[in-house]
Amino acid sequence: MRRKTTPEVVSTSCAELEAGKLAMSGVEKTSNESPEVEDKSKEMDAEADESFGDDYGVEPSQYLFYSDRKEWADLEPVPQDEGPNPVVKIAYSKKFSDVYDYFRALLKKDERSERAFALTADAIDLNAANYTVWHYRRILLQALSKDLRKEMTYITNIIEEQPKNYQVWHHRRMVVEWLNDPTEELAFIAEILSQDAKNYHAWQHRQWVIQEYKLWDNELEFVESLLEDDVRNNSAWNQRHFVISHTTGYSDPAVVDREIQILQDHGLSSQPGLLEKVLELKETHCSPYLLAFLFDCYEDALENTKNTEEQERQETLSKALEICELLAQEKDTIRKEYWQFLGRSLQSRHGRSPSEEPPAAEAESLPASGAQEAS
Amino acid sequence: TLLSDREEFEQIDFLKDRHVRFFQRTLQVLPERYASLETTRLSIVFFALSGLDVLGSLDVIDKDLIIEWIYSQQVLPTDDKSNLGRCGFRGSSHIGIPYSTKGPGVLHPYDSGHVAMTYTGLCSLLILGDDLSRVNKQGCLAGLRALQLEDGSFYSVPEGSENDIRFIYCAACICFMLDDWSGMNIQKAIEYIRGSLSYDNGFGQGAGRESHGGWTYCAIASLCLMGRLEEALSPRELDRIRRWCIMRQQSGFHGRPNKPVDTCYSFWVGATLELLGVFRYTNFEKNRNFILSTQDRLVGGFAKWPDSHPDPLHAYFGLCGLSLIGEPNLRKVHPALNITQGAFQHLQQLHQTWRSGCGQQH
Repeated sequence: MRRKTTPEVVSTSCAELEAGKLAMSGVEKTSNESPEVEDKSKEMDAEADESFGDDYGVEPSQYLFYSDRKEWADLEPVPQDEGPNPVVKIAYSKKFSDVYDYFRALLKKDERSERAFALTADAIDLNAANYTVWHYRRILLQALSKDLRKEMTYITNIIEEQPKNYQVWHHRRMVVEWLNDPTEELAFIAEILSQDAKNYHAWQHRQWVIQEYKLWDNELEFVESLLEDDVRNNSAWNQRHFVISHTTGYSDPAVVDREIQILQDHGLSSQPGLLEKVLELKETHCSPYLLAFLFDCYEDALENTKNTEEQERQETLSKALEICELLAQEKDTIRKEYWQFLGRSLQSRHGRSPSEEPPAAEAESLPASGAQEAS
Repeated sequence: TLLSDREEFEQIDFLKDRHVRFFQRTLQVLPERYASLETTRLSIVFFALSGLDVLGSLDVIDKDLIIEWIYSQQVLPTDDKSNLGRCGFRGSSHIGIPYSTKGPGVLHPYDSGHVAMTYTGLCSLLILGDDLSRVNKQGCLAGLRALQLEDGSFYSVPEGSENDIRFIYCAACICFMLDDWSGMNIQKAIEYIRGSLSYDNGFGQGAGRESHGGWTYCAIASLCLMGRLEEALSPRELDRIRRWCIMRQQSGFHGRPNKPVDTCYSFWVGATLELLGVFRYTNFEKNRNFILSTQDRLVGGFAKWPDSHPDPLHAYFGLCGLSLIGEPNLRKVHPALNITQGAFQHLQQLHQTWRSGCGQQH
């Protein structure tokens, strides 16, 4: 089973965003492994790119073009009609065109047959991102009453090879729905996640299965095992929130205590007496996130307690401004401009005697989608 | 750094001509290993055209020929209009419809538009200076309405597909360009968008899902195109979203906490920050250095990471990322619609023409 992935283990699939940010409906990002052509200068050279597919080296008699197969002789292949000036034309090999010429012929007559079903597998093998092929295959699955268990095996194998393709996951979901049987799902998704613990498709499918079939019971445990592997796995943290918010919720104090304990075990807590706890942690775990959180606490205090004595408010303000300075100058310098901006905004909103302050905030009113020049 | 001055200069040198040629080649022929792009070719056309536009180099292509090809991808209503809910633009001719740039539509059991192709098709026409007079507006909007679900999200095709916030963005762009919001139920779309706001103040692809730079862009840009940003999100929520976005900068930007930085997020997250008024507070130099580190000095274009193969998507968004920070010789990009300001002005002129009643749209 040839695995089609980008070389790095953990990768966000920009294919998810391709095609007009969503045209990306299942565009598999071009693999960074170019099996045929290593030379970068031939990157786009159509003539130089021989498609040495799986059948290279195989005895010619073992692969027959559809156009040479007797049982297909009744069908007139339909070539792709690109017109006089095709744009972004893809240079297909004869083998590829042959399969798809017959696919187009089947589509045109909307043929519902075993041979059509078999052909869809070839078409998928050549391009698993073609959503029309998958749709047609689903039509055939139902029209021919095909064995859906076999289809589950089929789609399992394909997803293993191409885990970042939208169509394959959507197809799996459809089959699971038809079978009304989610029993393989959690284990399957866990297997995919073991290869890439942040695969967005996998997590999405997992959330759907859990919510649809009410399989909440062991999910927190699953999340915990992933966090043990990598406490920074943001997908796992998100899943944690997903499970808790849909089951116990966060209003139960026992739940909150438990979450706090976990966070404390990892070095961060949040509870009443919050400020004190965070200030303690600041001494030993002074991350930008902790400081930003502190800033937000001070800001909230200023926003929500307008009746507090002015002296106290000014103290809170000056602590908040100190945090901004610390972040800007030392702890999170990449966002220096932003922390200084936040400080100025806070100052202008809560500073003493606004009339005495220079109107520094005027040029910074939000929201503004005005252009900013490069520094 | 131990590099010589000359090496350092070359390292951060923006190779405009290489990128022009990269997009030119993209518009011509791609090798078979790009097969997975077949059904979305129109969006690749968009990346190349808009990329050339950002580079100020549209003169290297034959605009009229490309306009014809784009129109040949339009799924037009049949004589009896029985396929209205399937109208829009295709990604390519992969279904096997005979080439035609005019109607009436040909009935075919499996031919229909794809929301992201309709979106990028319209953008591409605008970029090429077309007046959209051959766009069947009624068909596009009917096709769009057919795709929206009860929860406010959209399918990509009428046969069904996954549904999420990406296609809301496509729908918003289509309505915006056609100057007609009857193509979608805005209120429901807003509800879906709000429902996708995560506990950590980014947006996921749908409710409950992990927040992500691409989906955050879709959410914010959609609301901006709808003119509903401040209606849909409170000032505090907006501040929190700004924070989520700005924390994505590591050197360049990543799309999710604790993921590697990737060139395209310099646009997704950068443009979102621009729409929210705080892009100016990011670190331009580090962002630029990262984007340029993914530049392919030989074949042009950009890749998601350094020392990786370039592709049209990253080539385009790398340029857009540089444009946002004001890279010299790059045209400015409208952050919500993601076309150059020049193309955007052309659209505004079309809108004026349409609204004043001259040049009727059918």
